[in-house]
Parts: sequence; structure tokens; C-alpha cells
Amino acid sequence: MNALLHSAVAIMTPLLLAAMGGLFTELSGMLNIALEGLMLMGAFSSIVFTYLSGSMIWGVLLGIVATMLLATLLAVVTLNLKSNVFITGLATNLLASGLTIVLSFRLFGNKGVVVFDRIGSLPRWDIPLVSDIPVLGAMISGHSPFVYLSWVLLALSSWVLYKTPFGLRLRAAGLHEKTLVSLGLSPSAYRFIAFLVSAFACAIAGAVLTLNLGAFVPNITSGKGWIALVVIFLGQKKPLGLLGASLVFGFADAFSNYAQGAWNVPADFILAIPYLFTLLAMVIVSIHADWKERIKR
Amino acid sequence: MNDRMDRRWKRFLGVPRSALGSLVILFIALAAVFLLSFLLSKTPARTLRYFFIGPLQNTYYLGNMLNTSIPLIFGALGVSLAMRAGSFNLGGEGQLYGGAFIATVSAVAMAGWGIAGVICAIVLGAVTGGVMAAFSGYLRMKWQTNELITTFLLSNAVSLVVGYLIAGPFMDPTTNLIATRKIPESFRFSRILEPSNLSSALVMALVMTVVVHLYLYRTKSGYELRMYGLNPRFARYGGINSGSYLVLPMFLSGALYGLGGAMAIFGTYYACMKDFSVGMGWNALAVALIARFRPVAIIPAALFFAYIESGARNAMLHSDVTFEIASIVQSVVFFLVTSSVLQRIGTKRGRG
Repeated sequence: MNALLHSAVAIMTPLLLAAMGGLFTELSGMLNIALEGLMLMGAFSSIVFTYLSGSMIWGVLLGIVATMLLATLLAVVTLNLKSNVFITGLATNLLASGLTIVLSFRLFGNKGVVVFDRIGSLPRWDIPLVSDIPVLGAMISGHSPFVYLSWVLLALSSWVLYKTPFGLRLRAAGLHEKTLVSLGLSPSAYRFIAFLVSAFACAIAGAVLTLNLGAFVPNITSGKGWIALVVIFLGQKKPLGLLGASLVFGFADAFSNYAQGAWNVPADFILAIPYLFTLLAMVIVSIHADWKERIKR
Repeated sequence: MNDRMDRRWKRFLGVPRSALGSLVILFIALAAVFLLSFLLSKTPARTLRYFFIGPLQNTYYLGNMLNTSIPLIFGALGVSLAMRAGSFNLGGEGQLYGGAFIATVSAVAMAGWGIAGVICAIVLGAVTGGVMAAFSGYLRMKWQTNELITTFLLSNAVSLVVGYLIAGPFMDPTTNLIATRKIPESFRFSRILEPSNLSSALVMALVMTVVVHLYLYRTKSGYELRMYGLNPRFARYGGINSGSYLVLPMFLSGALYGLGGAMAIFGTYYACMKDFSVGMGWNALAVALIARFRPVAIIPAALFFAYIESGARNAMLHSDVTFEIASIVQSVVFFLVTSSVLQRIGTKRGRG
């Protein structure tokens, strides 16, 4: 059970990070389905830059820059050329998927899994005192620094979104853009920044995936960006909601991994569980929302 | 969220079309091919020659290119029907794959039924895709569950389960491929351009395009569907049963995807191989977008997409680039195709 909770927290981290980034775009009024592609770009570029520079910190930082460049393309085409955000998001996913494979073929002569031996594994941090608490200690102690970084970032983004003028204006862009226009502010500018923030968070989310593994696998994100989008809706677009929703998701995933080993369930069924589980959660949330609506009337 | 998105789509559909704008997009896409060839290939001239001329150089490549467009046409018709009614069907991948799988295994089971078996198997494949999409439509009608996400989730889950069924209980033990048994020879569509793979399914794709066009623009139900898509509230005041236009177009949409999958099996593959259809559903969505959900425009758009894909495959076979450059070129088209700034090039200013 302890191991299950521990891996649930590890699995939820990329989801939480990507969902956090997606929350900015979502609140600014853009449905950002490019989370998947941005995450993939971050995953690929941060491990490649880590390999080239020999330092994980430089690798992740340069990975963030590369992912933000992709997001800039997405934002310019969507906001300045006035394209449909849904389609440009699909385009970003398609581009990231093609570009990472083409570059991997060009750099390493390999279209499949690229293993980077020189890169060491991520450090594990044990938190003093907390690690002695029975269940909770096993759950939240002994993770990679990324896990704790994601919590700091969650608190930070919650503060930015709800306690600063910038956050208020960003949310106003999504709620009622005319308010911003009447104040002489440009909703597009806030959406542009939101895209960059989502790229920042997705790049770290992607880096977690590849640096944990020490290898790049084509399309390593395998739907995690989409699940992050669902996490935003399940979490009711609130920072704490995101934490809860991604934990539930991480737990479902950890449980299906456990089931695979314990009961010999076919791997494809196991992979299907998170999707079915999310579908069920979506339906329950919408039934609940519908029910509340009816009571109001 | 649906309201907000609907407005965006309407803006996209309402933007005046200009031939010049489309040409600019085409030109940028082709420029991307040149750029990629010079950046990635050691022999760019050779790469470009095979990319552009390759698909047209003989009947074999030409036929295969036309054949690639068949499932794209079916899928794009499906996307368009749902979109015209204001619904999103993002589950094409799973609907196509699931439809293909059910059509294959029922054809194998009904081997002795003759022509009735062919029809039954294809109908079952279409119904499979249709039920999957209609389920999401039903959820939206009942509880306003966002169908854009539910179609996608269900499709992913179904694809994985189908993958398991193909590799497990339904695997053909006599081959090394991860595939089901082959459908009986008498069930297969005839080849119409030897030695290529092109089959008579092309005729059915063309017929289906005309049928969908006539349905949308010449029948009462099609008119109501379009009206519901443009303005659900107005349609409701007009006395249209609005609930049914959340479910019916989704069913038809999924059914067309399933049909596309069945056609790929009966015309080309004969057995349902694991993951044979990966990407077809998304490409069909791209085709529908380029055609702006107009059935007749789907045919040239599908041919354009098939051309890029065959070109990339040719360049991969005969030169030193990977097939994935196709997805980069396709993404360039995706990025630009809905741009209202580009679309307005050459039209009168001040509109929209």
C-alpha cells in the first residue's frame, strides 16, 4: 500500500505540472490542447540538452527555452494570425511528434528508443521528520526534486492567479474580454503570456518523464497531455482541485501497474484503465453539475 | 465551454474564402518541404524529386496514393457531419479501428454467407463506430458532458482493447504478423488499377460523398441538422427536436469512420493488423478542416493529404529522410488553414 501511494505521487507529478500550465491558458480563455505536444518537446529537448551540456540544470533550462519557442509559434499563429486555437493545438502536437523523431534520427541515427548512458539518475530527496510519519511519510518523502518543485510551483501559480493584479487580468481575459479592452489592456497579450507559462510547466513535466527514464522513447507522453486537460476539468479549474484530480489519476495509474504484476492482466487492458477511469470521472462530474443546476432552478 | 468554442467555429466557417489565401497556405507548405529537404537530406535534389514526382511516376504509386485517400474521405465526411451539427467527434481513431476490427471478425465468422455476409460485416463495422460516437452524443444530451473529450477518451480505450483482442483471442496462429485471420477471398473488393492496391472502395467513397452532400443540402433532416449546428436555440424555437440532433449526427459520424475502417480491410488489408490505422483518424480530421466541412471539397483535400503522405513515403524509400517529415508538412497546413488573416488576403477589406 505504501509503495502504491509513493508511486501514485511520482506518476501524478507530470500530470500536475502540465495541468498547472494548462490552467493558465484555460483561465485566459483558450482551450490549449497542445499540452501534449509541448510536453513531448520538453521531454525530448531537455534530455538532449542534458546529454550535450552534461548538466541536468542546463538541460532542463534549455529544454524550457526550446519548448517556449514552440509555444511562441503556437501563440503567434493563434493570436496574431487569428487561427482556431483547437487546430493550431493539434498542429503543435503533430509538429512535436514529427520534429522529435526527425531530429532524433538526424542526431542519433535512430527513430526508436534512444538511451543516454552518460546521464546519471535523478537524486532522491528524503525529507527529515516527515519521512518518519507512518503512511504520509512513505507517500511524500524520497521523491525526485521535480516532485517538490511541482508543489512549490503550484503554490506559486495559485498566488499569481488569485492574489496579483496580473492574475486577475489574466482571468478577466477568459471571463469577459471586453472588460480588459475597456481598461485599455489587450486580452491577446495575457493569452500570449499564458501560452508561454503553459510551455514552461509542460517542459518541466516532459523533463520528468525522460530524465527519470534516462532515455527518450518516441511519443513518450502517450496521451498524458490530454489527461492533464481532463485533470483541469475534473479539478474544476482550481489549483487545489488540480492537486486532488491528478492524485486520483496517479493512483489509478499506480494501481493498474500493480494489477498488471499481481493478477496478470494483459498490458493493453491496463493501459486502457486510465482512459476509462477518466471517462467515468467526467460523467460523474457532469451529472453532479447538472444536478446542482437543477436544484438552483 | 461549448458555447465559447461554438462561436470560434462559426467565425472559422463564416470567414470569406479566398483562392489567394489558400494558395498562400499551399505555397508555405511547399516551401516547408524544400526547407526540410535542404536541412535534413544530404541529397536534397533527389529527395525533392521523389517527394513531388514519386507519387505520380507510374500507375503503382498513383494507385496507392488514391487508395490512401479512401479512408480519409470516409473519415472526413464523418467529422463534417458531426461538426455541421455543432458536435465534435475526436474519436475517429478508435471508431475507425474498432469498426475495421468488428467488420473483419464478422466477415471471418460469416464466411459461408456470400454477398449477405459482406453486407452484414460492413454494416456491423459501421454500427460499431456509430455506437461509440453516439454514446458521447447521448452523454452530452443527458448531462452536457463535453463530447470533445469523451469521444477522445473512449476512442483511446477502445483502441487499446482492440489491440489486445487482435494480439490475444483473435490472433491468426498461422502467420507471424500480429493480425486477425484474413477475410474470405470472395469477400474482397476487386483491384481496379493493377499492380497498385487501389480497389473499388474508391467508387464507394465517391458515392458516399454525393450521398452526404445530398443529405445535408437536399433533405429536411439535413437542413434541420445544419440549422441546429448554426443556432441550437433558434432551431428549438423552430420546433426541431433538439435532443436527437446531439445523438444522430454523432452516430452517423462514427458510422462513417467505421465504414472507412471496413473499406480499408475489404479493399486493401484483408486482415485487421494491430495498429494498422494509426493516424488515419487524425488525418481525416485535417482533411475535413481543409475542406471546411463541405462534402464536395473533401475529395481534393483528401487527395492533397494523400499526395503529401505518398511523397514522404517515396522520399523515405529512395532517399535519406524519414517518413515523419510528412507530419511536419501536415502540421504546417494545420497551423495555417484556419487563419482568418491569411484567408482574407485578396478579399475586400472590412468584412468579417
